[in-house]
Amino acid sequence: MTGTTTDVTSEVAAPRRRSGRTGPLRGLARLATSLWLPVALLAVWWLVTDTSTSPFFPPLRDILAETWNQWVVFGEWTHAVASLKNLLFGYLAGTVVGVVGGSLLWRLRQVRVAVNPLIYFLYVLPAPALLPAMIALFGIGQMRQIALIALGVIWPTLLNTLDGMRGIDVVKFDTAKALRLGGWRTYRTLVLPGAAPQITAGLRASLAVGIVLMVVSEMVAARSGIGYFILQAQAEFAILKMWTGILVLALIGTALNYLFMLAERVVLHWHVKSRALAGS
Amino acid sequence: MRLSWLLPVGTVLAALAFWQLVTVTGVVGPTQFPTMSDSLAALWAEATSARLWNSVCWTLRSWAIGMAITVAVGLIVGTALAFNDFAYRSAAPVIEIFKAIPAIAVLPLAILVLGSSLAMKVFLVCFAALWPFLIQVIYGVRSMDPVVLDTAKAMGIRGVRRFLAVSIPSASPYLVTGMRIASAQALILSVVAEIVGGAEGIGRNILIAQNAGTGAYPLMYAYIIVSGVLGLVVTGAFFLMERKVMHWHESQRNIRAANRAARS
Repeated sequence: MTGTTTDVTSEVAAPRRRSGRTGPLRGLARLATSLWLPVALLAVWWLVTDTSTSPFFPPLRDILAETWNQWVVFGEWTHAVASLKNLLFGYLAGTVVGVVGGSLLWRLRQVRVAVNPLIYFLYVLPAPALLPAMIALFGIGQMRQIALIALGVIWPTLLNTLDGMRGIDVVKFDTAKALRLGGWRTYRTLVLPGAAPQITAGLRASLAVGIVLMVVSEMVAARSGIGYFILQAQAEFAILKMWTGILVLALIGTALNYLFMLAERVVLHWHVKSRALAGS
Repeated sequence: MRLSWLLPVGTVLAALAFWQLVTVTGVVGPTQFPTMSDSLAALWAEATSARLWNSVCWTLRSWAIGMAITVAVGLIVGTALAFNDFAYRSAAPVIEIFKAIPAIAVLPLAILVLGSSLAMKVFLVCFAALWPFLIQVIYGVRSMDPVVLDTAKAMGIRGVRRFLAVSIPSASPYLVTGMRIASAQALILSVVAEIVGGAEGIGRNILIAQNAGTGAYPLMYAYIIVSGVLGLVVTGAFFLMERKVMHWHESQRNIRAANRAARS
């Protein structure tokens, strides 16, 4: 199964070429380079749509004003809370099963060989295809959405956990044996940290899958959530309202991504440090 | 050696038998889950009709067109960005933001503007697949050995030739990985566009079968199985490509060596 999952190396910082400047000026210049394009794009969006009469692309100013109205004044933020609650439960359930399952499969070689085709099939199966089946199984409600999210989230985490654990240097296990660390302690102090970078890559892939499933499950036969809000607005041809939903969803997706990166930096700071050392 | 393929085949058969057992004995009612034999019979009946192959064609069409556009745009834009430090630093945050926006967020807008059409599906597929692929292209080109680059410069290789003969082969491991990730995204979004957007394809057939009531549940699972097989084909193709095309590359040599060591 090695090599079928997310590539860890590609997910972390790209190799950088050295730039000539040093000191605080350099930091400022770097900040400016990374900020000017997003700001410019927003400005272009604002200006181009400012006098827009197209029904599909209303002025950005109106979208922002309406977003405040809909999501804060009219209290539509409850939709966002409903969505995030489903995502949280589904994501937690799925990733716990993924890490535990991956660890078990790593220990039990025969089982791993045996269930390999089943797991791989579920991994490549486009998870949204299971949505109608989930409606049939759980009816309409939160349970179905949580179940669908959990079911899609398991596989990237599980396979990356397994890959990460299989990639640990064999010599380290000999060392652990020589130190008489015992099974559980070896797992906690060697296997889990050793596989952590790749587990994290799996968790990130799972988060992306989870967000997609969160929205999709709300777009079919649901009564709450951001996906429902957006699709309902579209059905009513309330384009401005729909745009506010798109904006909020984009913000949530980006925010979750950055939160994840922040958490990753805190948890894996030793890994980043050791990589920097190896690189110097 | 024989055990290594006997065991997986046995597990698949056991899983199918378990499915049949659970549904026939009534542990899971027919209103929730159809029996395995009914589902496979439905799959067989569909496989001999044109409906299944039509829907497969529709799903694969949006996947293929979307992938072609993604790869072409990704290669050109990615290489251009990777060779210019300022352009790379400026564009990186924008790419990250677009990558973080779930593509389904723009689905309702795409349906409004483009309708339940192939164009709508292709747009969504590109929106989901382009960003991760672009990032891989940039990383691939930027991780290129500077000696190779200097050699190319000394030999006067530049422009399109440098792109084709130096950049792409050096970055190819990243490119193929990026294509595999993009291809999975592309298939997912095709199915989503069919379920939510009502465009023709496997996803719509799954939803239609679900809406048709309990009697059509075997059909629904038949189409879910088909979507899984499509996933296998699409991902498996890139997985094989990774091994076949890249056999000369360092990363693959290491993997093969590790596999040999593990076997002996």
